[in-house]
Amino acid sequence: MNRKTALKSIVAFVTLGVSSGALYEFLKPGEGLPVTSLPKKKELIAELAEMIIPRTDTPGAKDARVEDYIIKMITENTDAKAQKSFMAGLSSLEHYTYENYHQQFVQCNANQKNEIIKHFESKGTYSIGLLNKVSKKLLGPSFFNQLKDLTTVGYCTSFAGATKGMAYDFIPVNFEACIPLKKNQLAWATK
Amino acid sequence: MANADTNSVYDAIVVGSGISGGWAAMELCKKGLKVLLLERGRDVRHIMDYPTANLNPWDFEYRLDNTPKFKAESPIQSTGADAGNAHFYVNDTEHSYLQDKPFFWYRGYQVGGRSLTWGRQCYRFSDLDFEANLKDGVAVDWPIRYKDIDPWYSYVERFIGVSGQKENLRQLPDGEYLPPMELSCIEHHLNDSIRKNNPGRLLTIARVANLTKGWDSRGPCMNRNLCSRGCPFGGYFSSNSSTIPAAMATGNLTLRPYSIVAEVLYDEASQKAKGVRVIDAETKESFEYHAKVIFLNASTIATAGILLNSKSHRFPNGMGNDSGELGHNLMDHHSSAGASGKHHGYKDMYYKGRRPCGFLIPRYRNLQPNEGLDYTRGFNIQGHGERSEWEDTMHDALGFGADFKNQITKPGPWTVWMAGWGECLPYHENKIRLNETAKDKWGLPLINVDFSFKDNETKMMDDIRKTSGEMLEAAGFTDIETFNYNKPGGSTVHEMGTARMGRDPKTSVLNGNNQLHAVKNVFVTDGSCMTSSASQNPSLTYMALTARACDFAVNELKKGNI
Repeated sequence: MNRKTALKSIVAFVTLGVSSGALYEFLKPGEGLPVTSLPKKKELIAELAEMIIPRTDTPGAKDARVEDYIIKMITENTDAKAQKSFMAGLSSLEHYTYENYHQQFVQCNANQKNEIIKHFESKGTYSIGLLNKVSKKLLGPSFFNQLKDLTTVGYCTSFAGATKGMAYDFIPVNFEACIPLKKNQLAWATK
Repeated sequence: MANADTNSVYDAIVVGSGISGGWAAMELCKKGLKVLLLERGRDVRHIMDYPTANLNPWDFEYRLDNTPKFKAESPIQSTGADAGNAHFYVNDTEHSYLQDKPFFWYRGYQVGGRSLTWGRQCYRFSDLDFEANLKDGVAVDWPIRYKDIDPWYSYVERFIGVSGQKENLRQLPDGEYLPPMELSCIEHHLNDSIRKNNPGRLLTIARVANLTKGWDSRGPCMNRNLCSRGCPFGGYFSSNSSTIPAAMATGNLTLRPYSIVAEVLYDEASQKAKGVRVIDAETKESFEYHAKVIFLNASTIATAGILLNSKSHRFPNGMGNDSGELGHNLMDHHSSAGASGKHHGYKDMYYKGRRPCGFLIPRYRNLQPNEGLDYTRGFNIQGHGERSEWEDTMHDALGFGADFKNQITKPGPWTVWMAGWGECLPYHENKIRLNETAKDKWGLPLINVDFSFKDNETKMMDDIRKTSGEMLEAAGFTDIETFNYNKPGGSTVHEMGTARMGRDPKTSVLNGNNQLHAVKNVFVTDGSCMTSSASQNPSLTYMALTARACDFAVNELKKGNI
């Protein structure tokens, strides 16, 4: 099956699973800024990451400085295709925000931010798992999923995330194989 | 240390300081021989040279992701390494090889070799394995049987320290074990189900060279599961933590890093090897070392490469290659097929600590002749049962915000992942050869690897997939996914067989004492010597064969036979 046919078969499945009608936009290649401009978007990225993993009774993405991790990874350790997709996604989010809310993302209130992220989540996520896999393989990860994955890894491997957002055991000494779960037990941060 | 005198006469030269070379050096030193241990890479001293051993995930520049430089320069190694252990893997660009078909050759060119990063699984072969070629009419018969190696398995296990559970199985003989590591709730559950639903099958804790109590001034294991960075507690066996210090303590060892062995030198008059030609990896200077006996432990592909490059009037096609089998019969276990699933019980149970091993379901196929399967030989299943944590749940948890955060930071459902480590038959056409034109930066010929799994392995993978899924289903798992990753050869890092042992010099390279049939003072005791692969992780067998061959070699030296 070549790429074109595969895309067609996704389109055929769309009525079953896509949670928004914005397929055309999803497939349209977006234009983004060069990756070197990313540090200028630090505040925006921090806000976006905080929407994915907010501060609750434990630290959030901003507390863990996840924005620094995201900028570093996208700039230095991401292949060109995924880099481009992230930059395009970021631009697209800024445009969408401006068109619909007439201000910048960081100026939006909590509800507006939530609506915006939801919009991008629905653009990048099918409700059928298989379609997500197919689309990821053909088109690369969607902007939303890139953002979500980077935020998650960045948070969970950070000092604040690992030691306060989860349970971190530097030198366990013993392995206790079967023990009762404690109340409000957090998951282990490392395997 | 690095300036071993070329005028010195050594009793023995050992080429390679990995898991088998370390053993050869220690055994020969302990028996009073003056030993020169040659290692092509840099020195790595126990504890002092484990720079990442105590780092947290956030201490690494890109967390545990490899650096862009490493990924670009080492496209193969970087698929197996992470930021914590990347410094124990070679640079693919500097140390290139040629793949006739995709083959992942993972290498660690340093003192200790891959014993620093090995998986530490220690399983004995049985006569089911040693007799298999003879019974099937495949390749050649092993020149040894279980009784020949049994005492040497014990000898090695007692020294390295292996934790494990005796199970009294004919196909997987018990060894001498430290207390076993413990199974988690879900692993106990799966074990109970397997024993109930499949008479003759069982699940047991992995048998690993991780110490459950202090041993030989090392350990115990601290359950950090960071073994491949080198262990500051000496919690697992490596050449660096164990055999090389023991060899040093005898006062008989000279260790020379940065020493690339180009060839073994043959003396036509005595019909023996007289030494090796070495190229200094840093200066590219070439010189010779001489000794009475030579042990080759450079790892399967490299050892065969050295012998193929050791050409003389007597051996125009490579030393010891009268049979034409040298470089052929390359094997690697496959570990691509298996199944995973979730279990919704035991929600109120968890664990503490990071056990550095999983479980084993010992071989349950073709234990008897004529079981009616469409393939020969067998596999063991290795896996682990644990609760999902963020690395797993992040891909399943939908949405974003507080609810998403809650899902990834709380213990998820219990899961089991397991896959079959399967036997690969020795095929003559799976081979390595020296490239006739392409050379490395030291002027040595590049090695071509030509390897593929074939019909028997593919059919076995189908059965692994099917029966793994069935066992999970019977144990009440849900969301079962059976898989075949179709990883290329080399991925299991169990390459072996390129200088096989056999009874007949016409069809094999080594005899039953790991001696070149035609050059009695050259021994090969790394993975090259393997006549068949069985399905057990092979390092324990390499170590036992090495100790046995050292004992034989020293006796032969004393008798004046070599």
